[in-house]
Amino acid sequence: MSNLIRKETGGNALAVQEQVGQYLTFLVDKESFAISILDVKEIIEIANITRVPLTPDYIHGVINLRGNVVPVIDLSARLKHRCAEVSKRSCIVLVEVEVAEGAQFIGMLVDEVREILEISPANIQPAPDFGTDIRTEFIQAMARVDEVFIILLAINKVLSLEELSQLGRIADSRGNQFSEQD
Amino acid sequence: MSEFDSALKIFAQESEQLLQDMESALLTLESDPNDSETINSLFRAMHTIKGSAGLFGFNPIIAFTHEAESVLDKVRNGERHIDAGLISVLLDSKDHTTKLVDHCLNCPDAPLPDDLAATSSLLIERLTGKSQAHTLQSSDSLSPLHSEGGGDISLDDSWLISLDFKTDALRNGMDPLSFLRYLKTLGEIKDVLTFFPDMPKDAEMDPESCYLHFKIVFNSDASKQTIEAVFEFAADDCDIKILPPNSKIDTYLQLLDAMDENHVSLLGDMLVQIGALTPNDVNHALTNQAHARQTDIEPVKPIGEILVEQQVVQQPVVEQALKKQEQTKQKIATESNYIRVDAGKLGHLINLVGELVISSAAMNLIVDRHGLSDAGDVAASMNSLVNAIRDTALELRMVQIGETFSRFRRVVRDVSNELGKEIELKIYGGETELDKTVVEKINDPLTHLIRNSLDHGIESPEQRLAAGKPAQGSVQLNAYHESGHIVIQIADDGAGLNSEKIVAKAIANGLIKPDHGLTQQEIYNLIFAAGLSTKEQATNLSGRGVGMDVVKKNIEALRGSVSIDSTPGEGTTISIQLPLTLAIIDGFMVGTNETRYIIPLNMVAECIEMDSRECEINEVEHYINLRGHALPYLRLGDYFHSPKTENAKKRESVVVVKFGQDKAGFVVDALHGEHQTVIKPLGKIFEKLKYITGATVLGDGNVALILDVQGLIETAINKRKKNAALPA
Repeated sequence: MSNLIRKETGGNALAVQEQVGQYLTFLVDKESFAISILDVKEIIEIANITRVPLTPDYIHGVINLRGNVVPVIDLSARLKHRCAEVSKRSCIVLVEVEVAEGAQFIGMLVDEVREILEISPANIQPAPDFGTDIRTEFIQAMARVDEVFIILLAINKVLSLEELSQLGRIADSRGNQFSEQD
Repeated sequence: MSEFDSALKIFAQESEQLLQDMESALLTLESDPNDSETINSLFRAMHTIKGSAGLFGFNPIIAFTHEAESVLDKVRNGERHIDAGLISVLLDSKDHTTKLVDHCLNCPDAPLPDDLAATSSLLIERLTGKSQAHTLQSSDSLSPLHSEGGGDISLDDSWLISLDFKTDALRNGMDPLSFLRYLKTLGEIKDVLTFFPDMPKDAEMDPESCYLHFKIVFNSDASKQTIEAVFEFAADDCDIKILPPNSKIDTYLQLLDAMDENHVSLLGDMLVQIGALTPNDVNHALTNQAHARQTDIEPVKPIGEILVEQQVVQQPVVEQALKKQEQTKQKIATESNYIRVDAGKLGHLINLVGELVISSAAMNLIVDRHGLSDAGDVAASMNSLVNAIRDTALELRMVQIGETFSRFRRVVRDVSNELGKEIELKIYGGETELDKTVVEKINDPLTHLIRNSLDHGIESPEQRLAAGKPAQGSVQLNAYHESGHIVIQIADDGAGLNSEKIVAKAIANGLIKPDHGLTQQEIYNLIFAAGLSTKEQATNLSGRGVGMDVVKKNIEALRGSVSIDSTPGEGTTISIQLPLTLAIIDGFMVGTNETRYIIPLNMVAECIEMDSRECEINEVEHYINLRGHALPYLRLGDYFHSPKTENAKKRESVVVVKFGQDKAGFVVDALHGEHQTVIKPLGKIFEKLKYITGATVLGDGNVALILDVQGLIETAINKRKKNAALPA
């Protein structure tokens, strides 16, 4: 995976001009998404993931990244409400999210990392108000590549810490549910 | 960072420390106004800040501290008495200096804002207004004595100043006479000898050159430093030697004897400290010495000898100083001394030690797996070394809580004045140590709790007398260690909590229902709920009902807890339990449903095999019968994952955990034993989870979660209550 990045970013010097942006494309539940290459810190192979109990499906768990504990979000569950099936091609795309106390790394579980595309602003259109099955606020824009539309994700919305950290309530209610049962 | 910036940083740190010292010194003086060492430390604080500010050219600080320094100098010399009035002016001056320092550091180029400047002059007036009167008085009473002594004062009581002007002095705008005139303002010039050994023949004499050398017999009470300052501007164009009067020798000898061992250092520094020398004298002698060393003409003389030769200090003083130096050298070898270290470096070290602990665990794992018995010994000894390093590294960050405590003396003093109450702060256990990061974060909650005690807890003197208590109330700050935690207690001997008021207020706020059925303890804990204050009238100190909930939240963020106990009419005690450190703990690893969890070891009371004779489970009423006691329990596997079917249940164990007064049993599948746990934060996403406090990386690279015992015990107790309430 990392080879892919290095090869493609070789052309980075040219692409620094503002017109053309580089985007990493990946598959989630058979659909193509992309985020700006500048948001991507690292792509790592899927390794041992520790599940955090009583959390919603979109929290896939936590991993050990060189001694630091990093949460992993299941993008499929987050975007499509269907849990991802982990396969050989599954990858974790590591991004950095700004929070008040500094930057925090978050991993995104995706089904497959495709390639790095150069997309010119001419081919980028605003998000449609309807017609997709994911929440419109998650879509930053649509990019047309070879007559196919790719959704550019609004990372700060998809990985909004305020929203993700609301999981406590869900967990509480689930915890209580269990206690009712036994 | 440029050198200048780092120097500024040091200045900021140093002044903060000095001002802090000054405050506690002032507060000490309140109870013991004659403590000369404390007065000296006050003077030193102002003096050092003035000096450092001078390096950076912070004129507002210099101007202000100079006045304060002068006043303190008078206090030090016994010319002025220190009383409550002066102490409070000095406290204000300390606060003002803090503001000045802040201003100068933040906007060094901006002029002083009007309000600061106004406070400056106001405080100077308050400082000196009185002092001028005092000085007049003292000079009135002193001067006749001097004039009586008149002409026949022997040389023994006089300073001997020799000024050897260089030939260029006049060309550089020096007027020797003006210095002599100025010198007169400090004391009495008994005699001036003028001579001119270098004067050339008439024809060669240059009228623009200065050939004058003076020897002045001078009588004054001023310090050597002050006298030298007279000639400050001439320093480049004149060799100045000031020999203290012989009568001062005794004083110097006494000062040397009394000198604090911490201050014994280089000979020159010691002599400067007692006032026998000025830094200039020492520098001069050092240059000479270095010169002699380079030229190698004659054997290098020790600095003491050079100083005597230069006629700036008498032989006996040097000898005494050398003796003292020798004595303390031996003592210091046995005593500890301190190094100032950047907190960032320490943090980095602790992180590295954390990594070391993790990789050492990984190594042990591999040694075990491959059954390498010879490597096992090495691994075991390395393991114990790593443990020792971990403990030592953590200890580096431990600081005594006493300093934090003594800051509150100021708070208590100010607040009790403001409220018109008489309150004494008693401090115990100041030597108890805890992690610096914890100390920093506990300051705000403590301030709030103490203010609350002062405002709500302690009654007014009239009320106290009416209740048969002494008029003076007391607030106690106490710290001690208890089973891996530190407990900080704030106890007042005030009126105690009024549970009826709390209940009424809580009902009014909709926090509880009228038929609440709460125990006394639970009622007290209500004051930590948001929006509850029983004080009818809000003061500007407390009483707005915000704060206690914030206090609780802050303490819980430190993985601590807070509890409250109160006896009506006798007082209230608030206890804060805090972990000793936030970085590495001893953990106990358990497993359930193939997942491993860490329980902080200090919370584990015991582990028992399930269904043994000692321990039986009652699933209906939901408790474990532990040697005749009913223990609430939680089946971790069922709680965290899905409940298992009956036949899948293997041999289970119960881990009995305790937190404060509460106990519960956690039912787990496997016990993995002790584990050194480096706590890694889980980040913002998981911060609302009440059953997980953090994570750690295991030796095999997997992540294990650390359980929040407090939260889980509560869950277990609630379940027990619910099930016990069910009809059997």
